[in-house]
Amino acid sequence: MTGAARRWDALRVVVLAVLALPWVLIPMWLLLINSVKPYSEASRLDLALPREWRFDNFSVVFDEGNYPTALLNSLGIAIPTLACVLLFGSMAAWAFARSRRLSMKVAYNLCVLSVLLPPAILPTIYELQVLQIDGSRLGYFLVMVGTRLGVVVFLATGFVRAMPPDLEEAAAIDGASKPQIFRLLILPSLLPVLLVGGVILIITIWNEFLFALFLLRGADSATLPLGLFRFASASSEVIAFRWDLVFAHVVLTSLPIVIVYLFVQRRLVQGLSEGAIKG
Amino acid sequence: MAHDTRVAAARDGSPVPPGPPPSKPARGRTDLWWWPFAVPALVLTVAFFLLPFALNGYFAFTRWTGFSSVIAFNGVENFTNLVESGVLLRAIRVTVTYAVIAMVMQNVISLSLALLMQRTGRVNSFFRALYFLPVLISPLAAGYIWSAILEPGGPLNGAIGVFSSGFDYAWLGHGTSALVSVAFIDVWKWSGIVTLVYIAGLNAIPHSLVEAARIDGANAWKTFWWVKFRLLAPALTFSVVVSFLGALNAFDIVQATTRGGPGDATSVLNIALYRQYAGGFFGTASSISLVITILVIVLGVPLIAFLRRREVEA
Repeated sequence: MTGAARRWDALRVVVLAVLALPWVLIPMWLLLINSVKPYSEASRLDLALPREWRFDNFSVVFDEGNYPTALLNSLGIAIPTLACVLLFGSMAAWAFARSRRLSMKVAYNLCVLSVLLPPAILPTIYELQVLQIDGSRLGYFLVMVGTRLGVVVFLATGFVRAMPPDLEEAAAIDGASKPQIFRLLILPSLLPVLLVGGVILIITIWNEFLFALFLLRGADSATLPLGLFRFASASSEVIAFRWDLVFAHVVLTSLPIVIVYLFVQRRLVQGLSEGAIKG
Repeated sequence: MAHDTRVAAARDGSPVPPGPPPSKPARGRTDLWWWPFAVPALVLTVAFFLLPFALNGYFAFTRWTGFSSVIAFNGVENFTNLVESGVLLRAIRVTVTYAVIAMVMQNVISLSLALLMQRTGRVNSFFRALYFLPVLISPLAAGYIWSAILEPGGPLNGAIGVFSSGFDYAWLGHGTSALVSVAFIDVWKWSGIVTLVYIAGLNAIPHSLVEAARIDGANAWKTFWWVKFRLLAPALTFSVVVSFLGALNAFDIVQATTRGGPGDATSVLNIALYRQYAGGFFGTASSISLVITILVIVLGVPLIAFLRRREVEA
């Protein structure tokens, strides 16, 4: 590297470090530090350390914020949704990529419409009412799957199309059945795109709020974002926002996804920045 | 079933015609075996996305309320009501403004960050992971965090107060700054992903082209504008389209920060939809949903077509 290039490189690191302060670090610090302050201190919304540490904010959220129920609901919806979307999505992607039937092409296009078009909420409620699962977790789960399959189908079909079919054909000639070929050849090769797509999906499903607000009724079926919203709304009607408790709830709500991120961070960021998702 | 497939595939695969590419998959009757793989995804998408989507085209033109069990066709009455009350046109204007602001900010900021973090290395890996963190936060939570930062007595005004003391502007309390602030929170929340997409795009540009431009005497800006930016087309298309269409569907962040206020300055279409729904006017809510769909198509399709054409030219 030349001297000028090295100076430019150093400057870039400085810019990134300085920018990270207002962009990431201060918002995170504000969130964390105010979640362990008493109400009077937290309502000043400053970045100072608490004079009195209040870790029982979290137990308040646990009890009054219905956190354990909401956590179980979120897990019980997000994990099956992810499993169904990734499995059915890659199965369909293989079929769509390899079959040349016109009817398959039509089916593919129907499936990927949901990538761009916004879902219609009110008729969804109507349909769930007819099926008598309106307001239930089952109904919400089915809608989550139905509205998110398109993305996986789109990404994975493009991925399979770029794969040469020679290996599959050889396996078929050697006597492997379609399910075997799918399990032993297709699924493993789809792994990179499924990992990146899966993490993005789990983040958006975990944080999903709009459909939860319309489709889930009653505290028993609320997911974490819905629980957070109800908790924050309830706490703000009495006086001003209970920032201490709202922040404690945000911390607890985000914690599971941050833990997931810590495990897959390297491969996710690497995968995305190498173009695992293409336009 | 497995046996038939195998025999059929072998039979179909053996008489390979000369010339490339010999990759024609099994055809005709045997092609039916693809259906078991496609059906689960197809059925679920049709049942829980496409069917409601199609039904919306009917419900938008009905009187459907929470006060009666009868759903009756009423023509364009919902739309005339929405237009006459001023709700619809204002919501469209607010939504499109919001989407344009968010899209422009998103792509300028994310592309700048991508240029700063483009080169693969340890330091940049660290920064990429760090700048990705806001993506993990739910939009709702992002809304709460930033409404705290933007409070009149919050940290942002505190920082500005260092330079001009007693600064207590209510960012979310004035129409224009509220709309820009909420769009900014949207940008902040998603920038991590868009940045990585741009990094992928930048790294896909052949190094020789950038090098050639340098040798021809182009400075950093010219290299960026005439070479990198032109060849960035696929990543640009993806990011512009996703950030624009995503912003047309904005809801969570607005609901967490301003709930559509002050006045109706941030009442995007989904907020208007939620208000109609909460008031028991399900038919009118469906009409607003149809408007969002039409906006996505009317603005999204030309946008995609334009950006795709640009890709070909580049």
